[in-house]
Amino acid sequence: MPPTNPRNSQLSLNLQPFAARQSFATRRRFLQASAAAVSGVVLSNCARNLTEPKLNGDSSPGSSSKTLRVYGWVNYTDESLLKDFETKTGIKVTVDTYDSNEAMLAKMQAGGGNAYSIIYPTDYMVTEMMDLKMLVALDQSRLKGLEGLKEKWQNPIYDRGNSHSVPVAWGTTGLTYDPEKFGGTIKGWADLWDSQNSLTRRVTLINDVREVMGATLLALGHSINTENPKHIKEAYDKLVQFKPAIAAFLTNGWEEQLASGDVLVSMAYSTDALTLMSEQPKLRYVIPETGSSLWTDTIAIPKTAPNVDAAYEWINYMLSAETAAKIVERLRFATPNQIAFDKLPAKVKGNLNLFPSTAMIDQCEGIAPVAPKISETFNRYWTQLTSA
Amino acid sequence: MATSTPPPVPLAEPSRLRHKFSRFIEPLVLLAPPGLWLLLLLIAPTLLILELSLIPGFRLGHSAGGYGLGNYLQIFQAIYLPVIWRSLSFAFGATFSSLILGFPVAYWIAVMAPARWRNLLLVAFVLPLWTSSLLRAYAWIAILRPSGVLNSLLGAIGLPSQDLLNRPPAVFIGMAYSFLPYMVLILYASLEKLDKRLLEASADLGATPQQTFWKVTVPQTMPGIAAACLLVFISSLGDFVVPELLGGAASMTVSRLIYNQFLGATLNWGFGSSLSMVLILGVSVAIALLIKYGDRDGENLT
Repeated sequence: MPPTNPRNSQLSLNLQPFAARQSFATRRRFLQASAAAVSGVVLSNCARNLTEPKLNGDSSPGSSSKTLRVYGWVNYTDESLLKDFETKTGIKVTVDTYDSNEAMLAKMQAGGGNAYSIIYPTDYMVTEMMDLKMLVALDQSRLKGLEGLKEKWQNPIYDRGNSHSVPVAWGTTGLTYDPEKFGGTIKGWADLWDSQNSLTRRVTLINDVREVMGATLLALGHSINTENPKHIKEAYDKLVQFKPAIAAFLTNGWEEQLASGDVLVSMAYSTDALTLMSEQPKLRYVIPETGSSLWTDTIAIPKTAPNVDAAYEWINYMLSAETAAKIVERLRFATPNQIAFDKLPAKVKGNLNLFPSTAMIDQCEGIAPVAPKISETFNRYWTQLTSA
Repeated sequence: MATSTPPPVPLAEPSRLRHKFSRFIEPLVLLAPPGLWLLLLLIAPTLLILELSLIPGFRLGHSAGGYGLGNYLQIFQAIYLPVIWRSLSFAFGATFSSLILGFPVAYWIAVMAPARWRNLLLVAFVLPLWTSSLLRAYAWIAILRPSGVLNSLLGAIGLPSQDLLNRPPAVFIGMAYSFLPYMVLILYASLEKLDKRLLEASADLGATPQQTFWKVTVPQTMPGIAAACLLVFISSLGDFVVPELLGGAASMTVSRLIYNQFLGATLNWGFGSSLSMVLILGVSVAIALLIKYGDRDGENLT
């Protein structure tokens, strides 16, 4: 080391880093390379975690036996329901909501749903989740009230024998509109297609590929679960033709726009439509004459549920006839529970929008999972439709 | 002088090492918290997305296939390129309109407003940033919808009502409004440093106000303009809230497409990841261009 003068120390120290810089550069390169290698190995493990979701429930903090976390649709619970459940069983319930089955599935598969003991999958999603082995096989001896279900839901097609799910609500998907603002009555999709020119950006459709394409398929005379690519293309072409009339694809945001007249027709689930109509009596809900999808929402317990006992309490509470009758009146969804149905006042029983006639129900078709290749076709057309 | 100082004692090996380490301790301690934060919350997630994007056909819950570039090739299909183009045009349009709108405001606050009002005016203009961008987008829905505030005003004057909601113009308006405060803030910071004597000198030398503006002010503030435009461009390229709420069915952008891939029916996380990487690449290119061409010291320009 050269002799240093304190005054020159600043200068001489600069010489040192130069010598050090050469070796530092190679050391830096080594560090960079090893960091890249390590991160690659670590992250490839993360990707593997996403492909094989954890099937054992974690005991997350706060999952005492007195709390229950529910992941469901927005209009199946309300404050008084949760309070009533808490007074009856002493279990405190927190509800998180979602507005599409696919979003719920994505969250559950990615591991973000480990805190939930109850989920509300729709019928076709139950079949899919059963195939993915994400649902607990229900212990029928712990369930009280299954015999009260209507004939149709005793042994449903999406879940034979209600082995993994319990139906809690059913409904249709139809069109909500204001007859005054629209200037007439709507009987089916053909009315919309015919008056398309006066409907530019005045229609909202549900943000769901199977619902929208299924409704179009039914209107064209095909089955909602068709596996014929030509039929699907026909439905897609029809929708592309109709696209200028579509303002937005909204499952749950159209209510205010419809009420104020910004939107003239909304495709809606019967539950949402009837809730809105109770506040805006001038609106009307119609099931298209060509038929609509008949859906059943169910309650299921995911395999990762932290509090299975509380989950069974919740299911039994929902199945009990008095509760079912009360919530049907308040929250306006149709119940598959025959005993509860008998308890309802005549006005509610006779509401054709809430409980369609048998003739109407025969027109409707349930959405069922299709072969993966057809599912790809549906998704491809849907992406093309929404991206254009 | 060399004779009066004793020759240095050669440092023993351990002390030399300690000396070397002590040089690193201070920067390490200062940089560790933000460095760790960046590593965990920015670099690690980006690397994870990069890895997911390299698995073609990756779907949640199914077994992952081998690595490949299939997701990136999927982007070049005919239906997705217009989406990318639309995102870019929204970003450029939002940047340009907020620059046009924001520069006069920043100029006025920095140069022309009385000195004691400056901070107050700046805070007043930046105040909308304190509310959620979601709420601001909803406010624009209330203004732009067919039965909204704008059409009521136009109807009162007698002008025809505008049908702006759920169309691209609404997205432009919403984005320009959302990012205007950022633009004003950064432009103000740059304009504040403007040397007024240069403006006086230019007037003394016979330049008209327009010439002064274009030949003196703008070149001086070019670094600020470039930085502000970059920030607004990056934010609007990746913006999700405004196109989702104000755009409707006809304004699919890359951010909404990514959302659909992750949470929609397809659950194609591999493709969503590759789209995200493309967005990150676009932003990186913009930053690289800025560093190469835009970041010049203002003094060197006069």
